[in-house]
Amino acid sequence: MNRNYILLTVLMLVLAVGTLFLTTDDEPKQIAPEELLQQIIQPTRYVTTDQVAKMIIQGDPSLLMVDVRSADEYDEYALPGSVNIPLEELLNEGNMGYFGVPGVKVVFISNDDIRADQTWVLTKRLGVDGTYVMKGGLNCWMQTIIEPSQPDADAPSVDHALYAFRKGAQIYFTGAESATTDDGNVEVQVRRREKTNVAAGGC
Amino acid sequence: MGPLIPNGVIGGGWDFVIAILLGVAFGFVLEASGFSSSRNLAGVFYGYNFVVLRVFFTALIVAMVGLLYFDYVGWLNLSQIFILPTFLTPMIVGGVIMGVGFVLGGFCPGTSFTGIAIGKLDALFFTIGLYLGIFGFSLAYPLFEDFFTSGDMGNVTLMEITGLPAPYFAVAFTVVALAAFWGTMFVEKRVRKNMKQYKF
Amino acid sequence: MNLEKDTIQQPKYINPYLGGVLLGLVVLATVFITGRGLGASGAVKSAVVTTSNTIAPKATEANHYMSQFISDDHSPMYTWLVFESLGLLLGGVLSGIVFGRIKKFRIDKGPRISNRKRLILALIGGALFGLGSQFGRGCTSGAALSGTATFALGGVIVMFAIFGTGYAVAYFFRKYWI
Repeated sequence: MNRNYILLTVLMLVLAVGTLFLTTDDEPKQIAPEELLQQIIQPTRYVTTDQVAKMIIQGDPSLLMVDVRSADEYDEYALPGSVNIPLEELLNEGNMGYFGVPGVKVVFISNDDIRADQTWVLTKRLGVDGTYVMKGGLNCWMQTIIEPSQPDADAPSVDHALYAFRKGAQIYFTGAESATTDDGNVEVQVRRREKTNVAAGGC
Repeated sequence: MGPLIPNGVIGGGWDFVIAILLGVAFGFVLEASGFSSSRNLAGVFYGYNFVVLRVFFTALIVAMVGLLYFDYVGWLNLSQIFILPTFLTPMIVGGVIMGVGFVLGGFCPGTSFTGIAIGKLDALFFTIGLYLGIFGFSLAYPLFEDFFTSGDMGNVTLMEITGLPAPYFAVAFTVVALAAFWGTMFVEKRVRKNMKQYKF
Repeated sequence: MNLEKDTIQQPKYINPYLGGVLLGLVVLATVFITGRGLGASGAVKSAVVTTSNTIAPKATEANHYMSQFISDDHSPMYTWLVFESLGLLLGGVLSGIVFGRIKKFRIDKGPRISNRKRLILALIGGALFGLGSQFGRGCTSGAALSGTATFALGGVIVMFAIFGTGYAVAYFFRKYWI
């Protein structure tokens, strides 16, 4: 009789203490390392400066640019419409609310693409979908959009089409008057580029 | 998945059938454990019979620990179940009144029903008293309406009030209950030795 | 471990810990199926409201407490707790049959108290319990057991208040029981 009670006492204690080790679902959803590796080695997270420029010009409402550089750098120069969340402050309260909104593409922007890439990996770790990295960062933006280099005369026609688009974008972003094409032309160029699916040159 | 009826797994039409079935199980366990006798019940306050303590606290810790496991396996969402609202002072006063009623009457409402079921007249009188007590309360309600609704803290749980996770409480209750089981076993033995007659 | 005297006198009750585990499982099943706990005093409350509503519907309507439980579509008896309490009574009868405890009407009491006094005390105890259960939002099964099992603060308060008071006043009523 007493032995049974001792056994039952121990059983009940073990069951009760066992509840201490039950993990709750409150922890953030995390991605498996294998899956994360798969996503890192694939280049699908990159968007080109041309694509970003096009979306800005078209006023694409699904685009959210997040500048992950420091506040000083952001004040010096930033893409129009971008939000500044320095990488150090990414996990601060409230900032995570920007990510994981269905239908919104979050594009991380830094000087090159290293900091943006780091931010992207962090958001993937937190199980957020719909985040991208601007390939080449703002350095590439300068080279391709703000100061596009003219292709050689015997270059393929797609390169000339791309150059035309970039010149248009340059006017849009810098307000430069020197260019030969006007605003109406830009839009035409933009649409054509989409149809012909020009390979992105530059960085 | 659970709770089944609020989540529509079982249709609302089965509500009352299930109520009767659960009631039958409840009544059977109470009667079979000896809760139909006021002498058994009152024994917990005088140390000659701790059946109330044993059944009550075993049920409590089994249900508590079970709920945590149900929540973990995903059968039950703890945030969806009904939490008794807390009215601090009215509840303390009510508990004190019930405590006196328990010692005087030797029953509580659920056990008095099972007492009636096997023909205990004192259980019948207790239930009539219950009826009169609630009737009196309803008639006199305007007198203490303000007090009745005072101290409202909402449907608050132990976890919300203390900030500690639920398993802490399950373990604490389990340890205390198990210690009480072993302690009362010896108390009961000694008290019973000194009793002249104890007929159930 | 029982004394010989006890084994002769004790009626066949199931082991209290087995009873406790079974009762715990019943509470668990009730919460799992309905999302709330057991109860008993609620059924008596429904009975009170029903009789009051039948005898004096106007006065019941005017009463701030009872009017909460009146509905136009169905009788106040048509609630979950009333059906559960009916089952409770049935379960008691069933167990009484199984263990052979259904006999003619009888009274449980301490050795030093008359039948009449015992019944009057039961009536008073019941009235106090009924009154207290309204303030406590439930009785031992509804508030203390189901409430505490679902980690409700109110359940713990009611449980400690009932048992604490029970032990505090037991000494003054000892001649009724031992």
